[in-house]
Amino acid sequence: MTYAHLTEDQVAQLVRQGCAASDWRSVTVAPVCDLDRISGVHFYGAVQIGSTAGTHVVDGVEVMCGIYRASIADCVVGDRVRIADIGSVISNYVIDDGGVIQDVGSIVAEAGSPFGNGVELETINEGGGRGVRIINDLTSQVAYVQGALRHNSEFRRRLNGMIDGKAAAARADKGRIGERARILHCGSLRNVMVGPHAFLHGAQYLENGTISSCAEHPTEVGEGVQAKSFILSEGARVDNGAIIEKAFVGQGVKMGKQYSAESSLFFANCEAFHGEAVALFAGPYTVTHHKSTLLIAGLVSFYNAGSGSNQSNHMYKLGPVHQGVLERGCKTGSFSYLMWESHIGAFSVVIGKHYANLNVPNFPFSYINEEDGASKIIPGLNLTSVGTVRDAEKWPKRDNRKAPIKRDLIVFEVFSPYTVEKMRRGRDELLSLSEKVPKEKSFVVVGGAQLSRLLLKKGAKYYSLAIARYLNEKLIDRLREAVSRTRDWKAATGSLVPTTVLKNSTEWMDVSGLLTPRERLVQLEAAVAGGGITTYDLLLAEFRKMYDSYWADEWRYVYDVYAKEYNVQPDTLTKEQALAAINEWESAATSLHGMILEDSKKEFGAFARIGYGVDQPEDLMQRDFEAVRGTIETNSVVQRLVNEGAAIQRRKQEFAELITSL
Amino acid sequence: MDKAEIKKRVEKVIAQVLKIDPKEITPNANFAFDLGADSMQSIELIAAFEEEFNIQMDEQKAREVQTVEGAVDFIAGYLK
Repeated sequence: MTYAHLTEDQVAQLVRQGCAASDWRSVTVAPVCDLDRISGVHFYGAVQIGSTAGTHVVDGVEVMCGIYRASIADCVVGDRVRIADIGSVISNYVIDDGGVIQDVGSIVAEAGSPFGNGVELETINEGGGRGVRIINDLTSQVAYVQGALRHNSEFRRRLNGMIDGKAAAARADKGRIGERARILHCGSLRNVMVGPHAFLHGAQYLENGTISSCAEHPTEVGEGVQAKSFILSEGARVDNGAIIEKAFVGQGVKMGKQYSAESSLFFANCEAFHGEAVALFAGPYTVTHHKSTLLIAGLVSFYNAGSGSNQSNHMYKLGPVHQGVLERGCKTGSFSYLMWESHIGAFSVVIGKHYANLNVPNFPFSYINEEDGASKIIPGLNLTSVGTVRDAEKWPKRDNRKAPIKRDLIVFEVFSPYTVEKMRRGRDELLSLSEKVPKEKSFVVVGGAQLSRLLLKKGAKYYSLAIARYLNEKLIDRLREAVSRTRDWKAATGSLVPTTVLKNSTEWMDVSGLLTPRERLVQLEAAVAGGGITTYDLLLAEFRKMYDSYWADEWRYVYDVYAKEYNVQPDTLTKEQALAAINEWESAATSLHGMILEDSKKEFGAFARIGYGVDQPEDLMQRDFEAVRGTIETNSVVQRLVNEGAAIQRRKQEFAELITSL
Repeated sequence: MDKAEIKKRVEKVIAQVLKIDPKEITPNANFAFDLGADSMQSIELIAAFEEEFNIQMDEQKAREVQTVEGAVDFIAGYLK
């Protein structure tokens, strides 16, 4: 479309409609622009205006496109745009087709602004040294390697170069309000890129940021939000008085209710309300919903922070230099406290206040509680909790992301080489201790926590059951598929030889959601440092390859570890050994399942009934509980567990029949 | 082992694990409501009974046991 300068008659019309310009020769309009729809507008510098045809619905009222009561400086206004009631000015922006900007204080961009890109956040360690620089297409994996792989200076230098490139590409001479974006009732926006279909309503002050958005998953910024040096990703929703400074908010993240975040990263599907984050690296699915929760200087993912969860990173010595790691899936109970440095194993539950530096990564699925000021650990107890089962099921279902590209690569598996290998180490350590610790000792101290001598064997048993269930389940799943496909024992077992070659299949890492053998990350690190991976897009492609190879890598692990645990290589299994494997699986699965089922029933026990049917006779107390909570017989989770118990037996029988039919 | 002996040793274990006066332990006492055992202490109790009587209990069933008397009966089942 060509834009024309205004004729004298057109200028006269606009002047009659209350408009003015610093230089009318710098104002150009599309041939289809209806000047009747431009009134009370002051133009400064070069302004280009598209078609003003059409209407939008604002606050429930159908209103006309056009420009009304606004000062516009150096802007390109697309077709079907409505701009109205601008308190100060819209300056130096491209406003794409179909946008609505109404009742806004000011929207100003300075030429060359990075719009939040390249800003460094001091995550994990507030004292510095783990800076993560944010860019529009930052992923949890790239952030992780920025923050965690600090030992390799050449890797850091090259990675920084890639980030520089992305940050430079994000710089622009003008800001942009994307197609069909809506900005209503907001205060001031300064150097903020607004993506297509974004919806900003009532935001107070936004500066130096990008709001990435798309038609598939519009991003929303709501009432009272103050944000400075930030990037919001597609589908994020930040509202209700959130205050963020130096923050990255990932895809599908929900943040609000006065949440405050500084120097913090929140990746896919995090939820943050009421509390505060400082120097937090919140990997995917971190949730903190309640007041008085301060998450500080931590590396977490799949983490559920109970109300009042706190950590401290400052011992009044060298400043706030302490950091902590909660491996994936941890929970911290109400008013729990952890003194950093601490490192808690995956899927553990922390209750109470802990004044020891806990270092228990090889005891995943543990309960860590406090008794008389001492930290106590029960290794593996969370393996028998129905809560862990629920977590495993809920995360994939709650993947909120609708953008075409899901940036953070997430392996959801609760039982994976990462957790199973840690359980193996934990089991071996517990068994070793159980042989050494004399009966007279009531506890031993492991990683800063007291571990009851009585629970050494118990913890080892929980881990053994989970390891046996995992390894044998993986084996029989593969074998069942292979036998069904080939109907030949030799061919079936022969096909169990892994296709993946790994030097050390037992060392795994959790790269903020992506589980991968450590050597793959080492290879990536070497490729970046050595110049084999030269661009950001190539780096993302490498992570994608690691993600795509998860199942093959996992089988390599299972194959190798099965041989260690059972002294038989899966491809040399006899039918008898296969039947022994299904028996082993059935036994482990039944034991764990039984304990989980029992745990779920506690939800209907005497404690669960406290407070129901207040001041009522006992029969009405019972009926009140059942009306609100249901019964064991009607509860869907319990009943599903009951059915799963039967399914274990069916699966065993079917597998045995399949094997013996050959 | 007769029931009286089992009861005596069960009470000794409970007193040790829960750090309570043995006099507070009555046959009908509920581990949680009356003796204050939390879920973690319950696991410790199971482990302590297993060690005391040198038995391996079915943990799902063991977790269902709620009273001292119930524990005595349950353990007696393993010692027959």
